[in-house]
Amino acid sequence: MSAFYDGLAEIFEIDADNISPEFDLVAHNWDSLAIVSTIALIDECYDKLVEGSALAKCVTVADVEALIHLAAAA
Amino acid sequence: MRAAAIRAITSFLPGAVLSNQALADLYPNWSADKIFEKTGVRERRICAPDQTAGDLAEAAAQRLFGDHGVAPESIDFLMFCTQTPDYVLPATACVLHARLGLRPDAGALDYGLGCSGYVYGLGLAKGLIESGQVSRVLLLTCDTYSKLIHPLDKSVRTLFGDAATATLVEAKVCETPRIGPLVFGTDGTGAGDLIVPAGGFRQPSTAETGREVRDESGNVRTADHLFMNGPGVLSFTLREIPKAVDRLLALCDVTLEDFDAFIFHQANAFMLERLRRKLAIPQDKFVVRMADCGNTVSSTIPIALEPMMDEAKTQRIMLVGFGVGFSWAAASVTLH
Repeated sequence: MSAFYDGLAEIFEIDADNISPEFDLVAHNWDSLAIVSTIALIDECYDKLVEGSALAKCVTVADVEALIHLAAAA
Repeated sequence: MRAAAIRAITSFLPGAVLSNQALADLYPNWSADKIFEKTGVRERRICAPDQTAGDLAEAAAQRLFGDHGVAPESIDFLMFCTQTPDYVLPATACVLHARLGLRPDAGALDYGLGCSGYVYGLGLAKGLIESGQVSRVLLLTCDTYSKLIHPLDKSVRTLFGDAATATLVEAKVCETPRIGPLVFGTDGTGAGDLIVPAGGFRQPSTAETGREVRDESGNVRTADHLFMNGPGVLSFTLREIPKAVDRLLALCDVTLEDFDAFIFHQANAFMLERLRRKLAIPQDKFVVRMADCGNTVSSTIPIALEPMMDEAKTQRIMLVGFGVGFSWAAASVTLH
């Protein structure tokens, strides 16, 4: 998970230590640019494509991780 | 064999420059450096209010005629790839036919594709030439997306620039094809992800379509302006383009190592780098040329290809266009 968390930290321009499952995306500028970057990050880390509309509904990192698990199971 | 080959390419950029600093002044929380970091674009060229796609394309064609000693009377067919034509009708290609002084028995047509349009144009030109219908095709590309973009929509204004290109495709006697094989693809379910919703006959422009709305990311636009669903476009690209590249490699019966260079549609630097890494294409073979002109839609591939025409050595290049439609195409092209 560390490469994924490091990537998220880069997207939100914060220290990687601050990224956890409870991390609040919406409070950290969860806009279309962040969503685009996250789609690419998930593709790079897990070779899975998630839909932007589903990502946009995520509120926390845990929600994003649940989406990745769903994509992996599909 | 009689093969279609690219003989010359020229580009034309309009004079006005839209810099990252000018955009940063408009968009709170975006610095000029951040815009470059996110897009790979330092500046874009923007046409004048009274300048059209037809005007820019004419300038690119005249430059091709002048720089390469090509007589307008030698052109058998003119193709113009644009989504921002001068008129609803007639076809801008017919107007350009007259302005460029082409022969009365030369054909001319517009076709309305965006970022995939150049590769489609090469495929169509190849078909016309190798079937013996014509010997010389003038392939023009131009879009003036700046006229479709709301000034306060940073999602697209930071990316797109205006430009035109002219490519001369002509019959050549050689042992192997110079253009092709090609592969094509379309997914019309993505039509709404990159669209100007109003202004056509499905939804004519009205006072209502001109009403400004602000999206969750703070971008402002109306239904008369360009809308791009960035996440949707990226998902489409990462899903379809690797498959198209694999199809092309199988059709050519070669591997990535057999290509000397790769020119993908210059959508934005972020997307290009993700595609490059996903496909494991070496950085030194992957052409990125958009910093000084932005994403110029159907003109990005010929703009990147133009400097390579001056190199004397024979090169096999993979061209991949993708975008609005969704529409995509990939081709193997051999220069010289």
